[in-house]
Amino acid sequence: MLPILMRKVLILNENDNIAVCLVDLEIGEVIGQDGLNLTIQNRIPRGHKVATKNISKDDGIIKYGERMGHATSEIKIGEHVHTHNVLGDRLSTEQVK
Amino acid sequence: MSDQLKAFARPDGRWGLRNHVLILPLHSALSATARKIADASIGAVGVSHDWSGEVDGDFARITKTISGFAANPNNFATIFLTIGTPHELAIIEVAKKIGLARAEVLNVAEYGSMAKIADIGLAMANSLVKEANLQARVSAPWSAIILGQECGGSDALSGITANPALGVASDRLVELGAASVLGETTEILGAEHLLAARAITPEIGAQIIETVARYERSINYEGIDMRGAQPSRGNIEGGLTTLEEKSLGAAKKAGSAQFSGVLEYADQVPNSGLYFMDTPGHDTEQLTGFGAGGINIIVFTTGRGTPTGSAIVPTIKVATNSTMANAIPDLIDLNAGTIADGLKTLAQVGGELFDLILEVANGKTTKAEKGLHHEFSLSRMYNTVIR
Repeated sequence: MLPILMRKVLILNENDNIAVCLVDLEIGEVIGQDGLNLTIQNRIPRGHKVATKNISKDDGIIKYGERMGHATSEIKIGEHVHTHNVLGDRLSTEQVK
Repeated sequence: MSDQLKAFARPDGRWGLRNHVLILPLHSALSATARKIADASIGAVGVSHDWSGEVDGDFARITKTISGFAANPNNFATIFLTIGTPHELAIIEVAKKIGLARAEVLNVAEYGSMAKIADIGLAMANSLVKEANLQARVSAPWSAIILGQECGGSDALSGITANPALGVASDRLVELGAASVLGETTEILGAEHLLAARAITPEIGAQIIETVARYERSINYEGIDMRGAQPSRGNIEGGLTTLEEKSLGAAKKAGSAQFSGVLEYADQVPNSGLYFMDTPGHDTEQLTGFGAGGINIIVFTTGRGTPTGSAIVPTIKVATNSTMANAIPDLIDLNAGTIADGLKTLAQVGGELFDLILEVANGKTTKAEKGLHHEFSLSRMYNTVIR
């Protein structure tokens, strides 16, 4: 494991399919740490999430080893994971309707 | 007794970490006078609110909040400003029953003049502050600490830095015999199964699940789309995508100790163990409910620099990221962003926070206290009805 200071992203749990960006990441940047090998596909701000696996539509998004919502479209490894492609499972208008 | 903790002994056995003289209006019409007295005094504190005696669906919740806040163990004395209605006088009696030793009452109906109330109130406040200043701290047990856990303006680092650091400090306090309280029902939605699994009995676990389910039902009943508010726009900018994600990070404040019980809003907190209190996600309503429950010190983690504090409960601000901590140094007591910077470990920052909680419990002033962040807000569930 690299010391945290040298990491660009943080993997919180081995079962996660996302990692948290510790710095702003630019398109084309390569992440090769902690067994990851991925190329950043979108500009991703610090604190936001990047897909560390290919995620199918409706698959769970796993952070801290727990499900935090689901993909509303296919998400490829290296892509920004946020409100444009993820919804919570609960308390959204999807259920209210 | 701990040889490290010194606090103010209350006659009923409770402990204060501060020795405040609180000026508390029992009717909104007296709010300005309460603030005026507090501002002119040599160290009393005052709050204002907008309750005008409405007896509606929120009556029990509001009177419980005001009486509990008056009786908080951090208060050496509370000066009640009242127009003298039976409901207002009943609040004073409840505060005494909870354990308020010094209750002074200024009844407008008796004096017939706001100016006279302000003058007499000021003289009374100054005299009580002088008396309070003479009381010495004495050695207190760890159970004297009743810690409230709060987070506001969360960002993606909250669940990685400040919240787990608070969890480390909370676990250590609970192990020593203190009480620690997690709140904000909105912000455990999606993580309640993890907390319920840590309850000391299956019944308490079921209560945690039901408290969240009750909230979820009420939101679905109202047909509210939570996606605009939870996570908030600020949370989303910070990188939080869903409410469940925010909750999974927020729940880390409670560390890994077992839950000893579930409390309703503003319930009196038992003096040791980890509890969950059903409070709203609104920071000021939550802090007020904590104060009303007898919580005498609060750790408030923040990603965006929420300034909220309490008139009577010292509130320690812990930053989740170094950028904000450096930008608003007059707000932040401890920067947990150093964990994400790779400069410190979680255990180190958790230890620093434990030490800081102890220092503040012993009298060190927090940034929120220095900044006079004396927010107070009554929590309502129903339409306000005037009868």
